[in-house]
Amino acid sequence: MKSNIKLFSISNSLWSKFLDSNPQLFRELQGKLKTRNVVTAAAIAVVVQFIVVIFRLGKLPEKNLFGSVGTECGRYGTTLIYSQGDNGTICYALDQTGNWLVNWQLWWLDLFIILSLIIIIALVLVGTYVLIADLVREEERGTLNFIRLTPQSAGTVLLGKILGVPILLYTAIAFCLPLFLVAGLQSQIPLTLILAFALTVVASCAFCYCLALLWSLANLGVSSFKPWFAVGVLILLLRASTFSLFWEGHNLDSFFEGFLIFNPAIVLSYLIDASNSSIGTVDFISVEDLGTLTFFGQALWSKSSLGISLILVNFSFWTYWCWAILKRRFHNPQSTILSKVHSYWLTASFTVMALGFTLQQDMHDYPNNSRLISENFVYLQFCLSLFGLGLIFALSPHRQTLFDWARYRHQNNQNSLRKELVVGNDSPAVVAIAINLTMAIIFISPSLLFILPDHKQDIFWGLLLGLTNVLFYGVVTQLILMSKNRKRVLWSIATVASMIILPPVCLEVAQVTVQMMPQAWLFSFMPITATEYASSSAIAWALAGQWLTIVVTSLQITRKLNQAGASETKILSAGGQIL
Amino acid sequence: MSEIAIATYGLTKRFEGYIAVNEIDLQVKAGEVYGLIGPNGAGKTTLIRMLAAAEEPTKGEIYLHGDRLLRDDSNPRLKQRLGYLPDDFPLYDDLTVWDYLDYFARLFLLKQPQRDRRIQEVLELVQLENKRQSIISTLSRGMKQRLSLGRTIIHEPIILLLDEPVSGLDPLARQQFRQIIKILQEAGMTILISSHVLSDLAELCTSIGIMELGFLVESTSLAELYQRVSRQQLTLATLGKMETLQQQLNQNSLVNHWELIAHNRLKIDFKGQESDCAELLRSLVLADIPITEFHHSQADLESIFLQLGHQQAS
Repeated sequence: MKSNIKLFSISNSLWSKFLDSNPQLFRELQGKLKTRNVVTAAAIAVVVQFIVVIFRLGKLPEKNLFGSVGTECGRYGTTLIYSQGDNGTICYALDQTGNWLVNWQLWWLDLFIILSLIIIIALVLVGTYVLIADLVREEERGTLNFIRLTPQSAGTVLLGKILGVPILLYTAIAFCLPLFLVAGLQSQIPLTLILAFALTVVASCAFCYCLALLWSLANLGVSSFKPWFAVGVLILLLRASTFSLFWEGHNLDSFFEGFLIFNPAIVLSYLIDASNSSIGTVDFISVEDLGTLTFFGQALWSKSSLGISLILVNFSFWTYWCWAILKRRFHNPQSTILSKVHSYWLTASFTVMALGFTLQQDMHDYPNNSRLISENFVYLQFCLSLFGLGLIFALSPHRQTLFDWARYRHQNNQNSLRKELVVGNDSPAVVAIAINLTMAIIFISPSLLFILPDHKQDIFWGLLLGLTNVLFYGVVTQLILMSKNRKRVLWSIATVASMIILPPVCLEVAQVTVQMMPQAWLFSFMPITATEYASSSAIAWALAGQWLTIVVTSLQITRKLNQAGASETKILSAGGQIL
Repeated sequence: MSEIAIATYGLTKRFEGYIAVNEIDLQVKAGEVYGLIGPNGAGKTTLIRMLAAAEEPTKGEIYLHGDRLLRDDSNPRLKQRLGYLPDDFPLYDDLTVWDYLDYFARLFLLKQPQRDRRIQEVLELVQLENKRQSIISTLSRGMKQRLSLGRTIIHEPIILLLDEPVSGLDPLARQQFRQIIKILQEAGMTILISSHVLSDLAELCTSIGIMELGFLVESTSLAELYQRVSRQQLTLATLGKMETLQQQLNQNSLVNHWELIAHNRLKIDFKGQESDCAELLRSLVLADIPITEFHHSQADLESIFLQLGHQQAS
């Protein structure tokens, strides 16, 4: 506690005023900044750095004690020795005193990259975990409600959480910064680029932490698995994207590679390029590779200044959205995660971004790249369908909200039913999901018509069928969320998951390929893979079938809502049962 | 007419298949101590949670001193006026008593040096000065409850919502709690308090609301309730003959009935006011009846509650 007293007794200083302005941050620092905790964090940071340095030093050749004149080869050598049929081997030369000459610039660069990755992984994974665990604990204990009842804004409280909860992690990272900075400067990376990289890491953390807070405030009925689930997903994404980055010399022209800009490690490419080691390099995507990553056909990442700026803008843009959603969610934990108005803006933003990375290739290369573009549209459908599933769970109100809406809609507000369904947050989500999906189709259609050289119709019908499928999942989800079952959220997730997974699994088991029976695959999660082989009539029947089930399920929802909307007296006098 | 501190219009809350709070129109005047009573499940806690903005009403509106209470970021001024003590009072077990109050004082925008002064005042009020540096997990239940009350009033709210504040406390702790609430009342706070301990409410409250099945079936000042419903009870003892006493009582129209509680003692159900009691005593003395005991009492809140046909689970 002594360290706390010392820390917080600095009166009238800027620090003290800042803490006064954010009581949540004050509370987090007060609870966590204890001498023992800080020493532990510092010790972990020092030990990790020590291990990394020892590991890298182990890669250097042993000291030339006997004045050997033999050849010692290795990564940090300074001489290229060519022999017949190879591209040259890096070997160590001897200086005048008989010691090996080492390429220290590359050694420091390797150290810098390792430290950078450790910092990113620690900040993203550990930070996300502690934030979710903290908020879930506060929510379970009921203490978060007291904070909600104070005059503090949601922004202040959540900022205090983001800055304060992972403070020991930040402390540990702070102890890594000197070596990180020295390694960067020793490998001849300009300070401005190092700072730009640090800024990108901070921006990525802001985005990640906002998502983490949003996830922790999601109403799923089960809380204990939330931190582990989030960290599990992040590990998968970080692993996949970071491994892609360590693959030099490949074109970033696939749809999913566009999403590499969500990994802050991508900026290391510019730093490695600026290091410009004279001999030997790091097997990391180069700036030339980044030049092949395009957005609406424009190579925007070939220059460090523009590339880093765009990555920062990307993180800032999505952080802004998460923040806006969070602020609404914090004070209304029982409401839907997204408001309907927010969902329209979010869909527009996501569709533009996804379409930009779908149209990867330079326009002049058409029609040579039509196959690649078509593939990208398949990925686009997959991604939009996933986004649609997210929308379903973020927009669909639960039983109580819906029944209250049905029962008291006329008394609580004067909006027309149409307006309520489009922008009202307590109304069923089906219409809003349909509007979102229609918006996505409308955004994408012009590029299908004017840019795609062939397969226009196949891809259009594939997208339409895929998104109609999503609408069907939305209707089913809404129906399940209206049920009396206490585990309705889990039931709805399980039902939608089985509707996505079971059809392709069954078809695969029955060895029914897309080519053999495309009409069966039209009802799968990825109908875009089957439209190429399906006849027009099969597609028309599939669409008609989908819409029929949507209409029937919607009618069932309407019937239930009408029943819920009737007064108790009316139900009882009709001999019915109150829902 | 004094200002209305709490007003609700058509306040309703539905949970799944039942209505917890049903179309409640509540009005509490500024400076009142309003006691909310009713059996378990009557909707008291839900009503208080909605008044504290801890629960979203299904329908209806809440006004605090004329300002609409909404459950969002838009009303920091209103939140500054409100203090809410729920029945489960979760605390941060890792903090000390002082740090806990300091944290909430900061959340309620109290600046130095007023903050430290206010924490000191509150610690004195809730009688926890000697525990200021104790870790919360080491406190007894009564102390934790008083600390929670301290947290509730740290920002000097003008409306206090207390949900079962004395449940689970021993008689001494209850007595301490009552004292604190009296002091807060004297300080001018409007207090809405729910409790099953009706003797406490009778001692503290100026008005009473009775809830049943989500409805507010009674809402009136305690004085009016006593006047309207409560019957006076007289206990009489005489050294003389009972028959003479009974004859005399028969002549008084304000005497409803009596029952013999000992061989020379009677318990009388009396309709009249205090002046009528004095008149009755005078008439008995003038009739030469040797009265040895004349004790006047009023029915307690629990009896009134039962008399009104309600059932109080206590």
